[in-house]
Amino acid sequence: MGAAPASRDVTSYGMGLAAPLALFFLVFFVAPLLQLLWLSLHNDTAGLHWGLGQYLHFLSDPFSLSVLGSTLLLGAEVTAVCLVLGFPIAWLYQRVGPRLQTIIILIVLLPLLTSVVVRTFAWIVILGRQGIINATLQSLGIIDTPLKLLYTQFGVVIALAQVQMPLMTLPLITALGRIDPNLDDASCSLGAGSWRTFFRVVLPLSLPGVIAGCTLTYAAAITAFITQSLIGGGQMLFMPMYLYQQASTLQNWPFASAISIIFLLAVLAVVSVFTTLGRLSRGYGGA
Amino acid sequence: MILNRRSLMTTALTLGAMKAFPGLSYAQARPLVFATFTGSWEEAHKAVLVPAFRKANADAAIVLDPMLSVDQIAKVNAAKANPPIDVMLHDPGPALVAIGQDLAEPYPVEKSAYYKDLIAEAQEPMGPAPFFQVVGLTYNPEAIKTPPTSWADLWKPEFKGRVGITNLNSTLGTGWLVEIAKMRGGSEANVDPGFKALEELKPNLAAVAANPGALATLFQQGQIDISPGNFNAIQILKARGVPVEFVAPKEGAIAFKTTIHIVKNSPNRELAFRLIEASLSPEVQTTLMNPPYLIVPTNSKVAMGGEIARVLAKDTAELKQKFVFQDWKKINEQRSAWIERFNREIKI
Repeated sequence: MGAAPASRDVTSYGMGLAAPLALFFLVFFVAPLLQLLWLSLHNDTAGLHWGLGQYLHFLSDPFSLSVLGSTLLLGAEVTAVCLVLGFPIAWLYQRVGPRLQTIIILIVLLPLLTSVVVRTFAWIVILGRQGIINATLQSLGIIDTPLKLLYTQFGVVIALAQVQMPLMTLPLITALGRIDPNLDDASCSLGAGSWRTFFRVVLPLSLPGVIAGCTLTYAAAITAFITQSLIGGGQMLFMPMYLYQQASTLQNWPFASAISIIFLLAVLAVVSVFTTLGRLSRGYGGA
Repeated sequence: MILNRRSLMTTALTLGAMKAFPGLSYAQARPLVFATFTGSWEEAHKAVLVPAFRKANADAAIVLDPMLSVDQIAKVNAAKANPPIDVMLHDPGPALVAIGQDLAEPYPVEKSAYYKDLIAEAQEPMGPAPFFQVVGLTYNPEAIKTPPTSWADLWKPEFKGRVGITNLNSTLGTGWLVEIAKMRGGSEANVDPGFKALEELKPNLAAVAANPGALATLFQQGQIDISPGNFNAIQILKARGVPVEFVAPKEGAIAFKTTIHIVKNSPNRELAFRLIEASLSPEVQTTLMNPPYLIVPTNSKVAMGGEIARVLAKDTAELKQKFVFQDWKKINEQRSAWIERFNREIKI
């Protein structure tokens, strides 16, 4: 103990430990990103003429903007569904015995252990014209002709919400676990009803978890190429498919690069809104 | 294998150096890499073509790398000086792109034993066509009792909400749109009538699949009962017990040449040539023509038989008469504009 140099600040850490990861990110993340940016600043597909033409093309085209808009909206819808369905599960988790807790955590984690492709095909079986939902409704006599569920925005949102649900539930479980259960009792003993306790005590204190869950779910939902294209079909265009079309089918790499940079910036903007909310919530929670 | 910091660093530095100095990357003795298509193609090539090649070439090392045509182009384009692939397989549209971007080596025709036996349509000096893909109408015989006979049948009112198509990302989708345009007086240069016809097809459309593979799933799920479809893809579904049949429409089935190319700057040029020779040989083509692969042969010395003779053509003469070949050079000129138009107009 006495051998430790007294001058060393306990809050400082050796940066050397972070160097390998930093190098890894530099080589495999930052460098390709810069290459992407470089490519997007060319006006022709061969990459010979510099210019902002690809960005102008995207930003002046109402169709491209509508693709971006519908993708961002899709993310918001999926995040909302996940939050509304995920919160009660996380809340329940904190209030049941250890055996039920194991079952809940298993149910939450199980989707993560299955391939996205398999889960998405399962949704095709469920939502199809002769799928489980339509077959049940028809046998109960509620509908005559099958509902169109597959290849609709509704179908995409539901399937994505199921696929991304663990990303919402796990941060919520952690956040709710940090709240002292005595606060609930204190609120009740001071005369607040259960709803009032929920909205004035539990919800504000769980906001960091809500923000973390929303950020993860949102980012995963808007970039989910497989689920979007299999459930949405070939006529519903979101940014990942738009990118794929330009890069692979048409080999128009500069435009594809510009699309990805724009998409990246749009997502960063949304995520920074979430983070700002998170910072505000910390102030709120501490007050 | 134990990972420690040192070995990770070595790996990272090696990878970095390989990127910076591509010449270092591989010893010349890497195995022959053959980029085939995924699915039934990979199965057929693994089971028939690769063993035939190895038998004829003293068990030469070969690796199959299944991916789409467009991905092959992207991969070769990214490392032109030292391509990671030796032999590419292409649909007609991507083949022209690959040749246009100078990614393919001319085929050494004078050295080839089989090139002159190929039917005229398959003789391509930049890479011959060992296979044809045939696109016609596919339908579920349990739901549709009278077999369709024409592309125009897709517009029949009784198929309301039962028709599936694919978008234009695929060769199938684009080629079909051209054929629809031709049926209504258009051509490769003018697909306006095709788009007009698509507009009228909307009430019948149950699905626009993101790729031809997804169409197969939709038949299995009963989501669609009729669609333009690929002859070979249908055989696989049939073999698995899915009720589905293929008919060549009276306007002619669309034939896509699948060409095979030696990649420019390949370190394995000679082996690549021999693999392609194997694919053109009557022995391999005869085996691939039989079940379960049912691939249409292009070598005129192979006599057509079985299901192919029953559904498609009895011999080369009938094949030429019943198949429609499209001008993909013309199609490629406008393909991106069509894709954009499809994106905008086709919402169901």
